[in-house]
Amino acid sequence: MKKIIFFTFILLAAQVVSAQRYMTKTGKVSFYSDAPLEKIEAVNHQVNCAIDTHSGFFVVKILMRSFVFEKALMQEHFNEEYVESDKYPNAFFKGKITNLKEIDFSRPGTYPAVIEGEMALHGKTNKMIAKGTFTVSKEGVRVQGKFPLKIADYGISVPGAVTGKIAEVMQIRTDLFLKPLK
Amino acid sequence: MKALKIGLIIVVLGLLSAAYVWFFVYNKPHRDFEKARPDVVESARQCYRNFKKSAKAPESGKVVELSGVPKTIEHSDSLVTVVFAFQQGMFGDEGVRCTLLPKYNREAGRLSLHDTVRIKGFCSGYNGTDVILEEGSLVHN
Repeated sequence: MKKIIFFTFILLAAQVVSAQRYMTKTGKVSFYSDAPLEKIEAVNHQVNCAIDTHSGFFVVKILMRSFVFEKALMQEHFNEEYVESDKYPNAFFKGKITNLKEIDFSRPGTYPAVIEGEMALHGKTNKMIAKGTFTVSKEGVRVQGKFPLKIADYGISVPGAVTGKIAEVMQIRTDLFLKPLK
Repeated sequence: MKALKIGLIIVVLGLLSAAYVWFFVYNKPHRDFEKARPDVVESARQCYRNFKKSAKAPESGKVVELSGVPKTIEHSDSLVTVVFAFQQGMFGDEGVRCTLLPKYNREAGRLSLHDTVRIKGFCSGYNGTDVILEEGSLVHN
């Protein structure tokens, strides 16, 4: 009997431990800007994201060249002239969920989340606070958020000829569905 | 009369130039990687090794044809990803992840996890855990 209780405990403990980490490698991040010269929109479906529900650690890694634009020319300019994807292939966000106690990862529901951390893009790193929602379900956690990103803060310059015609602030949207890491 | 003709020719040439720029520069189509000739042909393992040595591996930004035995085939929304895994890391399996063009989704469902497959696509780089191949097509002999 003692053995059965012991093994049941071990199995339950293993389940709790495995559910402490959630991750995805197919998260979606898109950005959008509407300016007089050009409406710019791109989406990336290859985003890595991991959450440790015990510590509140939250990390997102984005391969810049995986952003897809409607126009091929725009995609070329983005990679070659703006974010310089060859030189800076990835963008990172590393942070902590500051209101971790308010999110019950064991109970399905939608919870507001605040994440404080650092965003690294184009060789520059800045502190950032992102707000969004965590939707907990049996299958995993959906992380959705929307925040502005000022491109000048990351050393991304707009050529003089089009200054003022391209938005200086991009609206970033995240939609990441994370599954428990087995 | 002559000036009118010259003016007309200039206008026509201007319109043709504008049309060319509009269709073939500003709105040029995305590259068709399915029809493109691969710049690199190698095993998925070799490609992964090259990126582990340097994130600026020669495959980065190129059309690459890879072969290997897939470990898993993932379905996420409308995307199908063939995964060649070579080690375990913080994010689980690490290796080469090949996202297929939607037209290959059905065929991907019939792939065996025991046989070698060849996939051609655009290598967008290495994200620290995996090499990413996009717009992949299944290559048959």
